[in-house]
Amino acid sequence: MLEGLVSPENLSLSSMDMSVLERLKWLRQQQQKQVVSQSSDNSPELLQILQFHESNNDELLQSTFSHFQMLGSGFGPNPNMGFGPSREAMDGCISRRSSLQMDPVDTMGFMLKNSEENRTISSKNKRKSEVKRREEEKTEKKIKVAAETESNMKGKSSMSNNTEASSDTSKETSKGASEIQKLDYIHVRSRRGQATDRHSLAERARREKISKKMKYLQDIVPGCKKVTGQAGMLDEIINYVQSLQTQVEFLSMKLAVLNSELELALHAYFTNLPVVNASKPSIMVDVPLFPLDQQGSLDLSVINLSQTTSIEAPSASWETQSRSLFNTSSLGFHY
Amino acid sequence: MASAYNPIYTDVPEKDVFALHFLQTLSNLRTQNSFSSPDNKTSDRVKKIKKAAYVSMARAAGATNRLWSRSLLHQAAKRNNKNVRFLRRKRRVTWLMRRRSNRGDPIEDVAAERLRNLVPGGGGMETSKLMEETAHYIKCLSMQVKVMQCLVDGLSPK
Repeated sequence: MLEGLVSPENLSLSSMDMSVLERLKWLRQQQQKQVVSQSSDNSPELLQILQFHESNNDELLQSTFSHFQMLGSGFGPNPNMGFGPSREAMDGCISRRSSLQMDPVDTMGFMLKNSEENRTISSKNKRKSEVKRREEEKTEKKIKVAAETESNMKGKSSMSNNTEASSDTSKETSKGASEIQKLDYIHVRSRRGQATDRHSLAERARREKISKKMKYLQDIVPGCKKVTGQAGMLDEIINYVQSLQTQVEFLSMKLAVLNSELELALHAYFTNLPVVNASKPSIMVDVPLFPLDQQGSLDLSVINLSQTTSIEAPSASWETQSRSLFNTSSLGFHY
Repeated sequence: MASAYNPIYTDVPEKDVFALHFLQTLSNLRTQNSFSSPDNKTSDRVKKIKKAAYVSMARAAGATNRLWSRSLLHQAAKRNNKNVRFLRRKRRVTWLMRRRSNRGDPIEDVAAERLRNLVPGGGGMETSKLMEETAHYIKCLSMQVKVMQCLVDGLSPK
């Protein structure tokens, strides 16, 4: 599907001299085509708009990514490498329904800026050059003003959502592109209505790092996905760590109680006992022989380099120990 | 889902590495004379076993690569001697506290403080680094718990 999209878009996108307004006109033509094709549905107004925007988003985003791929083919070692994260970004974009046609417009304008400024593309680090940031801001505001008329035409959309989504997508697409072209210049796209001084940008970068790591933690800690919001998640994580620590304490208490068996086991493990009795397979099945991974001490014997006996030896020694334990009555509970 | 995109290095070795380290530490404990005598109180033995568990976990998880393991080992070693390292740590903490108070997020800081108290070596870290350490610490702790559980299950009489 992408290959089909690349060829017609090639003609319009390959020339980098197009001005912003020309591109907007092209977009509008696209959208009108889409509206015509989808106007035959009987769905209500809102659903139609949503469908239209979603498909529009799809096509235009894919076209922009294909364009990035074209850019990257001259530079990049691996076109698939740049495509991976961009696909992810695309998924992220599609899931945001309120991000309308502002996204491709922004990326278009962004691409334009890049061509003019020798393709300096931003990523999420802290080094900034203030002059270029201000320029970008101005162009971003211009694009937004120009496209605002379109968005008013299309329907209701919250401005902040748009800017957020657009800045996110621009950052993400640029991140995907920056993997294709590795450059030194680092720009940070600022959102409309937010301060652009150094501190708040640094703050925002830091917060995004932290939220990324919180997401990773969320995957690890079980039962953390239901709670939303950073405070609740942090509480869950703290509870989980506390519970793990109390578990360690509890198990160490148990081990202290079972001290004698522990001694025997350690003694048997670290001094190679000879094979005693391998002719009673039934007992080996019954006794829980230190099951680490259902192979238990077999793994340990593999790791221990000094041990040269066969694999049968440790299991047999466990077997003898445990049998002796069963014979003696209440050895475990006296300590 | 996020495994390909993971920016944090939290690879934890297999269960057997943890088990090996734990058993080694326990056998070292066993060779101490005061440990196996029956007139020893259980609480002391519990403490020693617990400390052995943590130390072995820190060693198994890559001792000097991670901050929490490093501080754990320092704590364990210096508990016998005086806490010389503690002073240095305090100075570092005050510097970082000043820096953090400039741009602190009130929502995060309360919970982050609690987390710092829980995770060893968390006092002198920024929040993002703290998250990484917590993730690795959680993975190692869960592995250690599994190993100890297997040990207890294997040794307890039916």
